[in-house]
Amino acid sequence: MKSREKFSKEMNNLGRLGVLAMIILLFAVPTIFGLYHNAFPTFGEFIKAASGLLVLFVPIAISEVFIYTPIFGSATYITFITGNIMNLKVPIAQNAQELMNTTKGTEESDVITTLAISVSAIVTITLIALGVLLLVPLEPIMTSSAVSTASAYVLPALFGALVVGLLRSTGEIRVKGKVKAGIVPFILLFLVNIFVMNTYDYSGILLIPMIPLTVFFAWILFKKKQITIEIIEREVSK
Amino acid sequence: MNDTFFSIVNSGLLYIMVGIVIAFVVFLSLVFAKKAWKRAIELGYTKDQLVTVIKSTSIATIVPSLAIVIGLFALAPVLGNPWPWLRLSVLGSVTYELMAADMAASSMGVPLTDLPTVGIDAFVNIMFVMTVGISAGLFVLLFFGEKIQKGIGSMGKNKQSFGIVALECFMIGLLATFLPAFFTKGIVSVLTFFTSTVITISMGLIVLKYKISWLKDFILAFALIGGMASSVLWTGLLG
Repeated sequence: MKSREKFSKEMNNLGRLGVLAMIILLFAVPTIFGLYHNAFPTFGEFIKAASGLLVLFVPIAISEVFIYTPIFGSATYITFITGNIMNLKVPIAQNAQELMNTTKGTEESDVITTLAISVSAIVTITLIALGVLLLVPLEPIMTSSAVSTASAYVLPALFGALVVGLLRSTGEIRVKGKVKAGIVPFILLFLVNIFVMNTYDYSGILLIPMIPLTVFFAWILFKKKQITIEIIEREVSK
Repeated sequence: MNDTFFSIVNSGLLYIMVGIVIAFVVFLSLVFAKKAWKRAIELGYTKDQLVTVIKSTSIATIVPSLAIVIGLFALAPVLGNPWPWLRLSVLGSVTYELMAADMAASSMGVPLTDLPTVGIDAFVNIMFVMTVGISAGLFVLLFFGEKIQKGIGSMGKNKQSFGIVALECFMIGLLATFLPAFFTKGIVSVLTFFTSTVITISMGLIVLKYKISWLKDFILAFALIGGMASSVLWTGLLG
């Protein structure tokens, strides 16, 4: 049997190769299309259109790598290549880790998450391809008010389903009292939502200060022994 | 202008290029899945357990994917079919793509819905803007991915250290960020959230009480369908 290090190295090499190929392919599409139609934007036109978006999304895109890597482990590469992280891949990873009762940060968790994320990506790509093929006949259904309403509430429905699993640990390690780390950040943001504005549309950018803040409170509570680690002496689901 | 615009943005050239990129992503996903499957077997998982993961994942993926397909119906009337097909299939997210296209068009002084009347130059510009905006994460992964992975790996090694607590608290941080926004966004959002929670807990109890272990694989899918369907009911009653 090969070692964990060897598997991890293999996944990293494959992931980085995939990411490099993806970057080349992604930029090739508008480049070839623009050159073919002689419709290449000037640098000034590009900056004018891109500046607002880049200021907002580049910090989010960079910080997402640090925020989500602990959740996805070796599956981070395929997760980022296939996208739809918060609205699909986080619940899928959590669901698979719960099903197999794995401990975060272990190789078992990485392997199961990678399998689930890859399968999920293939299912999504297939469904979108079907959507393209059936664009005309599906339009009355997909643009109906019931379907539009239901799709607008996909995140509350996802988090409602996940909250139960997220509050307890899976695998052989129990982090007791971990919910306490989220109390102050939750209250702070709750007050912002009541007295300042609803932060729903800004959740992506808010993760940048909120995750370190939660980890900071966890560190204080861990030092004060308000958060403790318990190792369960039993066979994990294998 | 409209007919010419749509004949260009729905051209065979763009379909072929988009098809190649998507085929590559499917191939890459299959390679990752195969390697994970092989390693899981080496680690002692049974084929039945892995099939359970695949089955549960596939079913749970369908409902949120339909919300992504709806994004296709929002973007296709202005950007044609192949470009939204690519943008929704890889990287980003449905909310990012909708917002990015809109912001890029606004920055050029054109409402997104008027794009077909402006011309192909603006369309190509939007293609570049949407691609650059979402690629930053890929560059970080390319250059620092391995280092970040190693850091995370070392956090999980010592089972009594703070690293384990930090790993668990990332998800708590996610909850602390999203829940206040859901709870104050409106009553439908709150009720949808709790409907989904109640379905999850109820099904969990049924699995435990009646020992129906196969039902466990479908909890997420049922809670999602139930939660999203309930949002239509709550909107009708209170919205």
